[in-house]
Amino acid sequence: MIDTLIFNDIVRGLFVFVLGTAVLIITQRSLTSLFKIYAIQSFILAIMAVVLFIDTGTLNLLFIALLTLIVKTVFIPLFLHKSLKKMAVKRDIQFYYLTPASSIIISALLMFTVYFVFKNFAATLFEDSLFLLGGVIGVSLVMMGMMIIFSRKKILTKITGYLTMENGVLLFSLFMAEMPFIIELLVMIDLFIVILISTVMAFGIDSSIESFHRRLVKFGLEFED
Amino acid sequence: MENWIPVLFAAPTLLIIGILLSFWKSKQTDQADNCSLSLFTIIHTVIYFGISLWLIFAADLPITLFDNEYFYIDALSGYEILITTIVFLLVSLYGRGYVSGLIKAGDLDAIVLKFFYAAFCLLELLLVFGFMSNNIALLWIFIELSTIITAFLIVTLNARENILAALKYIFIASTAMIFGFIGIIILFTLSQKVIDGGSLNWTTLMDIAHSVDPSILSFAFIFLFIGFAAKSGLVPFHTWIPIAYARAPSIVAAVSGIVLNLGVYGILRLYAIGNLAGAGEFLKNFLLVIGLLTVIIAAFSILARTNTKKLLAFSSIESMGFMIVSIGIGAPVALFWMLFFQFTHSLVKTLLFFCAGIFRRQYKSNKFDMIKKPFQLQPLASWGLILGGAAIIGTPLFPIFLAKWNILSVLVSASFPAFVVLLVCFLLVAVGFVLFFIRAFNQKTEEEIQPYQVPSNMKVPIVITICLIIAMGLYIPSWLNNILLDISGILGF
Repeated sequence: MIDTLIFNDIVRGLFVFVLGTAVLIITQRSLTSLFKIYAIQSFILAIMAVVLFIDTGTLNLLFIALLTLIVKTVFIPLFLHKSLKKMAVKRDIQFYYLTPASSIIISALLMFTVYFVFKNFAATLFEDSLFLLGGVIGVSLVMMGMMIIFSRKKILTKITGYLTMENGVLLFSLFMAEMPFIIELLVMIDLFIVILISTVMAFGIDSSIESFHRRLVKFGLEFED
Repeated sequence: MENWIPVLFAAPTLLIIGILLSFWKSKQTDQADNCSLSLFTIIHTVIYFGISLWLIFAADLPITLFDNEYFYIDALSGYEILITTIVFLLVSLYGRGYVSGLIKAGDLDAIVLKFFYAAFCLLELLLVFGFMSNNIALLWIFIELSTIITAFLIVTLNARENILAALKYIFIASTAMIFGFIGIIILFTLSQKVIDGGSLNWTTLMDIAHSVDPSILSFAFIFLFIGFAAKSGLVPFHTWIPIAYARAPSIVAAVSGIVLNLGVYGILRLYAIGNLAGAGEFLKNFLLVIGLLTVIIAAFSILARTNTKKLLAFSSIESMGFMIVSIGIGAPVALFWMLFFQFTHSLVKTLLFFCAGIFRRQYKSNKFDMIKKPFQLQPLASWGLILGGAAIIGTPLFPIFLAKWNILSVLVSASFPAFVVLLVCFLLVAVGFVLFFIRAFNQKTEEEIQPYQVPSNMKVPIVITICLIIAMGLYIPSWLNNILLDISGILGF
């Protein structure tokens, strides 16, 4: 149990960092930095889970933090980096429909909308206003991730968008109700399979169909061409 | 005994996947490989079909597995599993000849062959487990995995467009499912208010439904609906279906029909909970609007189609919309016919994809203007396509006529404007199909075309499917009737 005021301040500070990383992901053009920012964002979420654990003492949160740390800050970014090295692309310059600036404005609008919608149900669903804020930022992060998927061209950027969405769901669940651990674990495995398969497919777009099939049947684990 | 059911289902799949991926050594030729590999698949689907028959006819439903935590089979699950296993059995029989044709034409690489069959078996396992799972989060995971496996099956063909189609499918379905997960979390929080520790079990949620807040439940429903709607191809998340269906091999397209059923199944269960909680009015209107919108867009899209598989894809979208409308009516009669529709739609779509697959082999294209002399070259496939088309638009004497007509007649009293819209779309779809067939089957040509020799093992499943469809149109057996009535009881309609 930490002092409520300090706890509130720490959590609010972490919220700011999460939003900062989200904005960076929306505007970033270099793929390497994109993955790094994603790793940082996941790391912040892991810290958030630890802070909540210290406050509430639910052991489940500690496991979630550990799982996030291993899978999302180390394993997935490493895998994406490794894949990127084998690809010809390094940057994702193009933006469909939205420029980075308008994306940020729309994100802010989305956040307000989400806030006003969730406020109606706040009394039943959330413990206090801080938890409401956590939930709202979580859902907004999901929306921002979706915007990345819509507005960017390269598959690897889209994958980062999907990962951001998943981080949003994690944030949302941290401030609402922790799921049973087995479910969290299965979701993480599922996430990894989605990333694996779509990365392998991203290869297929640039390579010949034969080498794509060779890579596909090895599930992308070996990277010689 | 009961606890063994998931093991019975999982054992053959895991065994086959294990054999294929670790011990399988290629034979001399690809064709010999295909023969033995498809034999594995046929054995697999026969075992599944056997278990599902046992579930429907001999087992005492509902069955609670592992203390009701994760798996549970009631009449609805049993019924959906039966549909799944029948379609997979037919597809695996047809697939033997079809895949050999793909290899011969160079459309399928020999190195992906065993993975193709392994993924096919795994998909059946995932779908059956999805229908069996009592926990919404577990269902969510099975749906996600089924997306991945279907996408994998799509990219096995030798065409770059397939990769784009599969990626589009993954991104639309998975993005929507993320929203679905938000709904699951809200639902879990809601259940924590009523019972200690919370629960995501269908059975528990049905029991506590009367004491949860209906407005928040509707809120959670909308999030979950986004996920299930993308999976079942409802507007505005339908855009992946035409692309994926047109690119996928016919047998994959045929089994994707079941993936759509899984989405509708989730919506149906959720609606039942919402209805008991007292949110029925809102949910009914919501489903009616989405369902009608889906039917309207699909009906107009059907009119302008030139590609056989895209025509079938839009017809699937239209059928899903029809089912959502019938859930939205909220009457037991509508539910009865909606479930009957689901069964017959799966069968008819399987037949249509079988025939479309043969046409694709014959003319090397899905475009209607490539179809020349169909009745001389491919008599069975042509008649199959015409019979299937007649069945899907709801011609009398075919089973879908019964379903559509009864749903429409219930809708008259529920909502007259909706009835008019649905009736117009119903006619538009019929016009679209008839126009397409008239144009496709009247292409003139002087040149000689070499007929594609359809092996008899591809013809047999087509004939079986046609017989099944005709039989179901003439007579509804009493066991089917009882199951459908049971389901209305379970869902509290």
